[in-house]
Formats: sequence, C-alpha cells, structure tokens
Amino acid sequence: MMDIRHLHYHRRLEDICAAFGPGEMVGLVGPNGAGKSTLLRAMAGVLRPTGGVVQVMGEAIHAREPRWRARRVAYLPQFLPDDIPFTVREFVEMGRYSHAPQGVLSRADMAAVDEALAVMGLVEHEDAPLAHLSGGERQRAAIARCLAQGAPILLLDEPIASLDIHYQLDILARLRALAEDGRLVIIALHHLELALAYCQRTICLHRGRLVADGSPGEVFTPALLRDVFRVDARPFRDPHSGALRLSVSAAIPSTPE
Amino acid sequence: MTRRRAWAFGALLFALFASAALEIGIGPVSIPFWQIPGDTWAYFAGHRGLDAVVVGAIRWPRLAVAVLAGSALALSGAVLQAILRNPMADPGVIGVSSGGALGAVIAVATGLSARSVAATPLLAFASGLAVAAVIYRLATSARRTDVYRLLLAGVALSSLCSAVITAILDLSPLEEMQQMMFWLFGGLDGSNWTEAAMLAGVNAVALTAFLRLSFAYDILTTGEEHAEAVGVDVERIKRASLAVAALIVSVAVSTTGVISFVGLIVPHILRRLIGANHRPLLAASALGGGVLLTLSDLVGRTVVQPAELNVGIVTSCLGVPFFLYLLYRQRRGRDIGL
Repeated sequence: MMDIRHLHYHRRLEDICAAFGPGEMVGLVGPNGAGKSTLLRAMAGVLRPTGGVVQVMGEAIHAREPRWRARRVAYLPQFLPDDIPFTVREFVEMGRYSHAPQGVLSRADMAAVDEALAVMGLVEHEDAPLAHLSGGERQRAAIARCLAQGAPILLLDEPIASLDIHYQLDILARLRALAEDGRLVIIALHHLELALAYCQRTICLHRGRLVADGSPGEVFTPALLRDVFRVDARPFRDPHSGALRLSVSAAIPSTPE
Repeated sequence: MTRRRAWAFGALLFALFASAALEIGIGPVSIPFWQIPGDTWAYFAGHRGLDAVVVGAIRWPRLAVAVLAGSALALSGAVLQAILRNPMADPGVIGVSSGGALGAVIAVATGLSARSVAATPLLAFASGLAVAAVIYRLATSARRTDVYRLLLAGVALSSLCSAVITAILDLSPLEEMQQMMFWLFGGLDGSNWTEAAMLAGVNAVALTAFLRLSFAYDILTTGEEHAEAVGVDVERIKRASLAVAALIVSVAVSTTGVISFVGLIVPHILRRLIGANHRPLLAASALGGGVLLTLSDLVGRTVVQPAELNVGIVTSCLGVPFFLYLLYRQRRGRDIGL
C-alpha cells in the first residue's frame, strides 16, 4: 500500500526504508526533533524528498498532483488554527475538495461527509461553529475531515497531544477501529504507553534515522528507551490486564557529547 | 444564516437601484426618476435633446464605470484577503493600484494611449502585476504572509510608484500633465461606454474564475498546510488569483485612477453580515463595491457644489478611519473577522 525506499530529506531524514499494508495501525515515535513531522509530510507528498521515494499504490506520491494525493492519503497536520469561521459540517465538507473542487457536492460526497461525522460521533454538533467546540471535539472534527477524503491511508501528526485522557483514549479507539476496517493508519505519538496499548506496530525515529520497526514489545527495549528517549524505563506485563506496559523511573541526565 | 444572506442580498440590490437612480438623476441638469427610462430610450433611439444626451452619454456611462470599478476593487480585495490570509489586504493599501496608475501614466506620456485604447489598460496591467509579484515575494516567508511586512512593502512600493508618476508629470507639457493628474486622485469624470465595456469584460472573466475557486478560498482559511493536505494546489491558486486580481484592479485604475479602501471596507462589512463562505461573499462584494463607489461619487458630486470632489478623496475619507480602526482592534488582539 505504501512503500518508502531510501528516503532522504536534506539532513532531517536519512535513508528511511519501510513498507506498510492495509489494516495496520502504526505508531510513529521518537523524541522531539527526531523528524516525525517531516517524515509524515514526505509520506503525504507535501514535501519533495531530496533522495529516494515514497510510493503509494505503486506511484511516486510527490510526483502526482495534489488532488490525486488527497484521494489516496489523508494527512492531518499537527496544528489547526482555532479561529476557523465555519461550522463543523462545512469544515468536514472541505475534505471532499479532491472530489468536488468547486464545492458542489454530489450525493456520494454528502454520504461520505455524513459517514465521517457519524464515525467521529459529531452528528449532533454538525451545525455548531468549529470555534465553539472543545479541543477534543475539534480534533475529532479534524479527523472526520480526513475520513471524508475517502482515502485508504491516514497520516496523523500528534492528533492527541494536548487532549485530556478521555479524548486521548476515545480518539485512539476510533482510529484503531478504522484500521480494523482495512485502512492504513499511521500516527505520530508522544505517549509511548499509548503506542504500546493501541498500535500493533511501532516505528521509531532518532535524529532522522529509522532505528526500530516492529511490534511495540520488540521496539521498546530498555536499551532503546535509554539511548533514544533518554529515560530509565523497562516494559512489564500488567498483572491485571496482561497487557504490556512501561515502567518509567527517571530521566537520564544529558551528558556532554 | 441563509435568511440573513437573503436579506443582505436584497438590501444590496435595493441600494444599487436607489444609488443608480440618484447618480443618474442628480447633477447640474436634474432628471426626475420617472423620466430616466424615457430619456435613456430616447438617447439610444438617436434623439439628441439635452436630457437624452445628459442621461445616455454622461450619466449612464459614469454610473456603469462607478459600479464596475467598485466591483473590481471589492472583488479583488476579498480575494487578496483570502489568499494572503490577511484581513488588511486591499489593492490600494498593498500598492497594486499605484502600480496600475504608473503604467497608465507611462502609456499617456509615451503617446501609446493616443494610438490604441488598449495601450493604457495593458501597460497598467503589466505594472500592476509587477508590483503584486514583488509584494508577494517580499511579504511571504516560510509559507505565510506577514501582515506588517505586507503593509510596509505596500507603502514602500506605493511611494516609489507615486514618485515616478510625479517625475513624469514634472517633465510633461501642461495639458498632458492635467490629463495625468487624474490618475493620482481617482475620478469618474469623462467616463465613456468603451471604458464600461472593457471593465465589464474583465470583471466577468474574473468573477467566473474567482467563483470557481471559492471553495479553495474557504479551505485556505484553515491554513495553507491543511489546504494542501486536502488537495488544494495552494501555490498555483495563489498566483493565479493574484494575477487576475491585478488584472481587474489595473483595468479599473486605468479608467478611474487610484481609488483606495473600497476593497478593504466592502468585504469586511459583508463578511460580518453574510459569513465567511466565499461564494456568497464574492458575489455580495461585487454588488457592494458597486454600491459604495456609486454612493461615494454622489457624495463627491454634491457636497461642494458647484465644484466636485474626486471620488478617490471620498473613499479615502471613509477608508482611513476604517483602516485605523482595524489596526486598533488587531493591536487589542481581538479577532478581525477573517
């Protein structure tokens, strides 16, 4: 579905190789400045790589026009302005631009918008101005806009940063359901615990390089947590649920290099 | 919102009719409203009585140019505000109008305007587009346009264009100089049917193009990154819109001279009334710009009778306080309605 081959972007991404298939829920983790946002932008085709290629359905994505890309890959940037002067429904309808660039929505477009609103639980808010929603609801509206695009691949840049715990779990559960439905969902995450709980696969970036790719249990080794995230931590089995969890005890002081 | 929109459009249409009747009726030769259709008919039927000539050859073309130039300015203002994500954008404030005026003055000074009616608007377009391109380059960095850089670049380039215009005026013979002075102040004297037809043509092209892009303008309010993510070709749409905006502003300026602030005031007020959705906003701006410029011309023609004020002076008297009010609100950190 998506194939990344020897991807370079200036010094910020170096020789990234990975392949993703339908139905996967992938957590993209790494410390601040590791290159997560840059990688997502390159995967969405918004950035033109300086080397290598991102292939979507067999085609180099950056070489195709924006509307072709948007029908295949729905990308949610990290920050959404909080002064958008539209209602939730109008905002979600914007996701249909690649299908209806003049804003004249067909019945199929309307159906896609209705479904996206329903999946994200926003039907009752559809006529509310976006600016009146809480942060969590606004983020759900943003994800609904991505869903309305009808793309089989979803790339989300920290969709749950700055949300309270209820919305964090709520949004991740909804995204996992979307992956189980056959979509490829890739999310940049800061919360390693949540990556462990919700993603079957985790890829870890460090200084622009892909340093680990596998199930969360394989990726989050004490050595990686020490070297990449600079914390003293180890995974353990939760005695109540049997799930894998992290026990984080301390930040490792920075040492002069 | 739908009902409010219907009311707003109704009010705009009524204002347009009322101001049109006043614009044709009021003047040194006063024409009662009920005689306007008859006199118009008489003029086009070939009669050359005083009333028929005043209505058909002077007042109607002046009204048409006022409405169409006002539409051009307000439309381009609404589009500039959308693509620059900047509520202070106006073709006059950012210098495109002065650029257009410079081209028009060069056309007259070099004698090209005497050879072809198309020379003045074409040269105006070339220099208006050049100014727009320079401003866009200067004010855009890291994928966003900065309000203050945009305004400062506009001030600088406007001054430069005005200085060059003044230099050309200084070096010109007296009668040409008087002809060219008109571009600096903006006036509707001597409007004719050829100018009105030219404006109608470019306005129709621009309005069609802008309406086709209106959904993309809506999406641009969510930020360029988000617009790109849903498939908007942001750079292409911005460049094309800027070029078309420069075209209608330059053609308007080449017929009326520099008229500032219509493009700032009209979209702002209408956005409050009918919302940020660009399809109705652009249509309403086209109407509202025509109304505002016609009313301003009426004020200019009547306040200091028997003399007349240039319409550009009237719009500046309205626009400067409005502009300063917007700056004040921005300083207070309030939203400015985009």
